Amino acid sequence: MNAPGMPRARNPIELWAAAVRQAGGVGFGLKKEPRARQLLGSGGGKGKWIAADCWPDCGSKGFNKAYVEDGVVVRMGTDDTIEDSWNKPQLRACARGQSLRLWLLGADRLKYPMKRKHWEPGGGKKELRGKDEWVRISWDEALDILAGELKRIKQSYGNEAILAPWVGAIAARALGAYGGFTDQWGAHSTGTWLPAHLHTGFGYPHWNDRFDMVETKLFLLWGTNPVWSQAGLPAYTYMQAKRNGARFIAIDPFYNPTYEMLTDEWMPIRPGTDHALILGMIHTLLVEDDPAANKLIDWDFLNRCTVGFDAEHLPEGADPRDNLKDYVLGLNDGQPRDAEWAAQICGAPPERIRWLARLLAKEEHAAICTSGGVARIDNADTLPQAFIALTAMTGHFGKPHSQLGVHHHFGTNGGPQLVQGQNSRSYANSHLRAPPIPNPVCDDMMAGGFQHTSRKGCININEINTAVLNGHYTGVDGEKVPIDLRMIYHAHGSRVNQLPNTVEGIRAHRKVEFVVTQNMFMNADAIYSDLVLPVTSRWERDGNVCIGYREQLLWHSKVMEPYFECRDDLWIGVELAKRLGIDPAIVEPWSWKQEIFNQVADARVMNEDGKTFEPLVTITKDDLAAFDVEGVPQQGRITVEEFREKGIYHIPREPGDNHGFVYLKEFREDPDANPLATRSGKLEIHCQAIADLVNRLGWSQIRPIPAYVPPMEGYEATFSDWEQRIKGDYPLQVYNIHMPRRAHNFFDNATVMRELFPHEYIMNPIDAAPRGIANGDTVLIRSPWGKVLRTVWVTPHIMPGVTILGQGSRVDLDEETGIDRGGCANVLKGSKPTGGGHIGWNSLIVEVEKWTGAPLRSDVETAHVIPLKDAYA
Amino acid sequence: MTKQLGFYLDAEACNGCAVCLVACKDKYDNPVGVNFRKVIHHTMGSWEQDAASPGFMVPQISAYSLSIACNHCVTPVCLEACPVAAISKRDDGRVLIDPEVCVGCRLCQCCPYDAPQFNEALGVMTMCDGCVDLEGTGEEQACVAACPQRALEFGDIEELRAKHGDAVLGGVEPLADPAITQPSLLVTPHRHSTVLTGRTNAVE
Repeated sequence: MNAPGMPRARNPIELWAAAVRQAGGVGFGLKKEPRARQLLGSGGGKGKWIAADCWPDCGSKGFNKAYVEDGVVVRMGTDDTIEDSWNKPQLRACARGQSLRLWLLGADRLKYPMKRKHWEPGGGKKELRGKDEWVRISWDEALDILAGELKRIKQSYGNEAILAPWVGAIAARALGAYGGFTDQWGAHSTGTWLPAHLHTGFGYPHWNDRFDMVETKLFLLWGTNPVWSQAGLPAYTYMQAKRNGARFIAIDPFYNPTYEMLTDEWMPIRPGTDHALILGMIHTLLVEDDPAANKLIDWDFLNRCTVGFDAEHLPEGADPRDNLKDYVLGLNDGQPRDAEWAAQICGAPPERIRWLARLLAKEEHAAICTSGGVARIDNADTLPQAFIALTAMTGHFGKPHSQLGVHHHFGTNGGPQLVQGQNSRSYANSHLRAPPIPNPVCDDMMAGGFQHTSRKGCININEINTAVLNGHYTGVDGEKVPIDLRMIYHAHGSRVNQLPNTVEGIRAHRKVEFVVTQNMFMNADAIYSDLVLPVTSRWERDGNVCIGYREQLLWHSKVMEPYFECRDDLWIGVELAKRLGIDPAIVEPWSWKQEIFNQVADARVMNEDGKTFEPLVTITKDDLAAFDVEGVPQQGRITVEEFREKGIYHIPREPGDNHGFVYLKEFREDPDANPLATRSGKLEIHCQAIADLVNRLGWSQIRPIPAYVPPMEGYEATFSDWEQRIKGDYPLQVYNIHMPRRAHNFFDNATVMRELFPHEYIMNPIDAAPRGIANGDTVLIRSPWGKVLRTVWVTPHIMPGVTILGQGSRVDLDEETGIDRGGCANVLKGSKPTGGGHIGWNSLIVEVEKWTGAPLRSDVETAHVIPLKDAYA
Repeated sequence: MTKQLGFYLDAEACNGCAVCLVACKDKYDNPVGVNFRKVIHHTMGSWEQDAASPGFMVPQISAYSLSIACNHCVTPVCLEACPVAAISKRDDGRVLIDPEVCVGCRLCQCCPYDAPQFNEALGVMTMCDGCVDLEGTGEEQACVAACPQRALEFGDIEELRAKHGDAVLGGVEPLADPAITQPSLLVTPHRHSTVLTGRTNAVE
């Protein structure tokens, strides 16, 4: 990657961002005039700062505020509501947060409801989806079309013909009351960790408190990059540990910015081979451990607190051969999983594997900090158990300054939520005090659950497109369930782009009779729809409440009026309900303003005792009148007006206070008195529950212990002959990481982010040179599933044999050639599920060649999809 | 001149996240290609055969990021190059471009830090002014206030030196030789970086 900020496009496309946005004029939060701000004040005190939400689900949280003058959003700011200190740090935003204004007010914000020109009830030239022209229509017409199609499809085919995958809480209430819809299940982000959190006893969240963590002496940062993925406090917290003298080791195919900042050593391993490395480390410790002369293994913890490590500590009824020790030593099959075996797979020299094992075992205060990324691998169902076994045997559970930390979503600061409110950072549940509306089709309370097991009327995320195309999906017991899907409703996320096999997804969207998308922009879902409903951003609604890390609660206010004809999801839900003959009060039991006030009133903050809670805000009768809401006066810690004004509350912290937390401490001290929520009550290295759920689904068969299974499209699959080490048609691996430009698909269309963070394909000079590829060339990347064009960044930051194509870039399919010019990684990734139905994004194999056709246009030039050219001129 | 303002960068803490850059771009509404601040990403080294384990390759690389804007130099070459005297050095040491005077000839692009940026729409050069508009408001510079690593500061360079005893004046590789412009840039070096000499301490 070139340095962010170095001029990329010599031909500026948006010479002056505000000038392009001129069409909106004052009143829509846009600037009236482009201003040379040199030597001008930042408003001269005329405007005011408003706490402004940032909801895309990166898994971190920063505090953003917008400076608004006369209804015009002038600039962004971040947390300066408290004096900054390590004890009580400001919740500063990331680059994405600072780009919110430029993103939300970009030239490509949707303004009007639209229908596809050749749409007719029942479809109408469905093959033109994605190619057709758009026609501006009224909201009445748009809602009549949507309600009409819902009624027609329900009457003709039944409610299960309506596919509304994770449609969002509000649309789900309306659709639930209308008889339900087919939903989706499966783990996106967490890979195979989700079943592990639920069934092994290693729960979620599980990090130690940050004051404990920064005293850790050794960190293995393992396949994680919070500087890009969960920007904000995690990197700052690690920096405190580094200043305290901690040693950091990076284990990853990519030498990323987090490692540049922190690490002393980088141990590269190939994607999907973490499991092999762990087994090699475990083997090393087993053969070198001597309780008297060279103590490497915490047998006391293993014996008292875990099951499955050796034959003497197995759950009741287990096959005695199903124990990790015998498996690693190869006692049953003659294949020891030693450092030499692991090295052949993961690519690290055997001596380095042994070194790492000894280092981890000998350090009293060590932490393994990893991510969902290592588990977004085909067949990685027992990888979490391998991590748990390594952490357990080296004695790093339940002790101060030691831990296994996974996902920086809650990362670097664990323990009970100290300020409690809407306990979600991005997925706003709707009216919290209202009873949930069940979805009768899948017997689920509300859509959007991250179930890890199949249920009726709910399709695995890998299969939603094949279910449309082939008419069946995999059921609860692995059986083939017929289904006849006729309609797709998108009101959340970006399914076409963000699920495997995007080209298949496009085919599915061209097969059904009706597709509708609610969005702020023409994302890929909207592009392949019949009807597009422009929705407001959260800046244009009556606020939002959400947690930050465990110490902050945020209350964002309305920043600007709704943009052009954009309407919020709640209004759409109500209008839809009216047309469907549903009581609108089911969708909107009370106003959003009242709902947000309720959430503020319900917010709780932990008292100094570390046990009890008190209300966060004081509310008087005058406040109720001033806010024009109903409620009951209450006594709290700060005034409701102070919370609204600042937009954020930080609980005071200091080392040694009563809010400290060490995960599994009580369990370690007395496992019998503090059993875990597992079948055995212990930490389960042998976990029958996971084996049962995987084997029941039937996509693969696994053992209950963490035995290594090569990924379907992992390193081993790059060879046509593994024994002879002869490379096959797809000799390179792809590491499908999160990029700084975007949070999934969010922000990807922001010009400023495209300029600063070009979406490049990353490869090592050792792989580039023999292919005649030089830095900056356009390359064609081919997988068994699709083809993508990208500009290449040739750099030693990536391990030879491994390449990177980051996730989240919007597909731009050339229908003639079938080549995606947008760099969408899901064009390359197949949709074949394994194990527990997670998505194995980091197992992907490709071949690459220099592209001899026309070079790609720059990311900046292709930032915006603008459907109604005239309306945006 | 009574004092010299300048930037302090903790290159140990900087991770190239570019929040500073976006905050600056947002505040000044700078278009594509115009960036008052930049993140310079510097990588050294390559992959080698592992001496101990034949057949295995191991990396011998190091890398770091530097966030750099106008260094409000003691001897600014941009000022010397400007044929219409649009660039001046204020009493506080800031180097400022007057857009009313600038004719857009771009001769100031001789700056070894690429600080002056031509704004095609305005037809003039633009540059970091140390958020001079925020003086007296109590607000910090946009880049400084936004840095999630607390790696940036702006202030009197002598006061910053007194505060950060481990920092070096003038910069580190791969920045330009500080002898050229005497930059008001104080850097706590990243552990892998080479410190540049050539910056004298004189503030005239």
